[in-house]
Amino acid sequence: MECVGEIAQKDLFRLHEDSLIFSARVPVFDANVGVGHRHDRPATFESAADLLKEMDRHGVERALIYPVQGESISSIDGNQALKAWLGDDRLSPQWMLGTDGDSLSRLRELRSGGHVTCVRLHDAGARVPLVEWVYGESLDWLSAEGIPLWISLVDAEAREVVELLRHFPDLDVALLGAHYVHASLVRGMLRELPRARLELSRYEVLGDAEALVQEFGAGRFLYGSYYPRYAMGPMLYYLHQLDFTEAELAAVCAGNLEGLLGEGPKT
Amino acid sequence: MIDGGPVIDFHGHVGRWDTVGMVDDPATMLRAMDRVGIDRSCVFDIFHPDGTRGNDRTAAFVALNPERFVGFAYVSPLMADRVVPELERAVDDLGFRAVKLYPPYTPYPLNDPIWDPVYEFANDRGLAVLSHTDTSEQSQPGLLAQAAHRFPKARFVAGHSGNIEPARGQAIAAAQRCPNFYLETCSTYRSPGVIEELVREAGADRVLFGSDTPLMDPRAQIGKIITADLTDEEKRMVLGGNAIRLLGL
Repeated sequence: MECVGEIAQKDLFRLHEDSLIFSARVPVFDANVGVGHRHDRPATFESAADLLKEMDRHGVERALIYPVQGESISSIDGNQALKAWLGDDRLSPQWMLGTDGDSLSRLRELRSGGHVTCVRLHDAGARVPLVEWVYGESLDWLSAEGIPLWISLVDAEAREVVELLRHFPDLDVALLGAHYVHASLVRGMLRELPRARLELSRYEVLGDAEALVQEFGAGRFLYGSYYPRYAMGPMLYYLHQLDFTEAELAAVCAGNLEGLLGEGPKT
Repeated sequence: MIDGGPVIDFHGHVGRWDTVGMVDDPATMLRAMDRVGIDRSCVFDIFHPDGTRGNDRTAAFVALNPERFVGFAYVSPLMADRVVPELERAVDDLGFRAVKLYPPYTPYPLNDPIWDPVYEFANDRGLAVLSHTDTSEQSQPGLLAQAAHRFPKARFVAGHSGNIEPARGQAIAAAQRCPNFYLETCSTYRSPGVIEELVREAGADRVLFGSDTPLMDPRAQIGKIITADLTDEEKRMVLGGNAIRLLGL
């Protein structure tokens, strides 16, 4: 049962905004933005300035950006291309980890230069199984360095993700792109992987984001848009309409990501 | 209401689909609707090919909150002899306002003559027909457009607006060609600029907000309209003005 104070606070947030216009009311750090043209999917924007303009339209202050070329063609080429997108403090780089043996050594070089705060693994098209005997060395290194890993559930089998990550209990992980097809899986994944966070760009099962936050705590969830694969605004609007406290909303929209990247307290 | 304008969700479900977390709990659905100002949601049950069982469940669901939910009739050509009698019962006795079709649960493309009794019924009554559309062989919007051309007094609504290309392009072309063809917005694919494209190419008077509740949370799906680069007047038409006109609410 809620106490009187909580009811009063939540009732304020329960009032719908009654407006045809939306902009975020808490600081927002988007955990999932791709840059560049994918080989099979041209982007809707060509430059950092265009991306910043879209972020401004929705009230997004910062974005973690990764090169989409690294999703299925080349993490090495993608990481090289990512450098051209950097320079504005509002855009933070996320480097890609690939299956090529050279990929890890280049990430190590970037890390020694102080440039790596998180890494992303995609497997789209490569059909490489997510197993310890393929990715073990890389994930050992990430664990030892305290570098969090992003994995997209759009491209990976949930069972493989869980089985692989069980071998790396010290590794912080962001699971991206869960969809309603994962509705029966997300609770098991969060229980099996206590250091995993769930990014919410595609997860819109009615009422379940609120239920998950109640069950696991707001610290396990991240706002990401998956822009430009998906529009930037709708899920951010959605998060603002959930029965979250302001503290929970702020944590999901930015604070949890800052903690993962070492910019604030880790949740 | 949002900013003084009515909001009608044109696409919602009754029934359970447990593996994807879909549960038709009225309290949860209403809470989400209230939070973002949705006045009424249109609902139907597509899980029973006889039509009768699902339509009865829809009627019972609507009866719990008749001022908030609008029933649509579901029929399937898998049990073709039941189609017309069930439509008559659903519209005349249960008070349903439109017809819902779901071709992926059948082997029949939307231009197969087996669907004609549905189209003829809607044409005779001046009803709206909301059909699922996508890129599959049965559900392409271009096939629904053929029916729209043949049955001009019925109004045809492409659910999901084809979902993705090239079906979305077919849906837009159909709306441009057929004055009785409409585009509905719910989709798990939320590509940037899609809502703007639908309004720009088909006209704001031909686009209907839908959410797929409770499969998808209407608070996320309405966010596509609110955050789209449209004028306030265009948003009002998409959010509810067009649906009110189409359903005679």
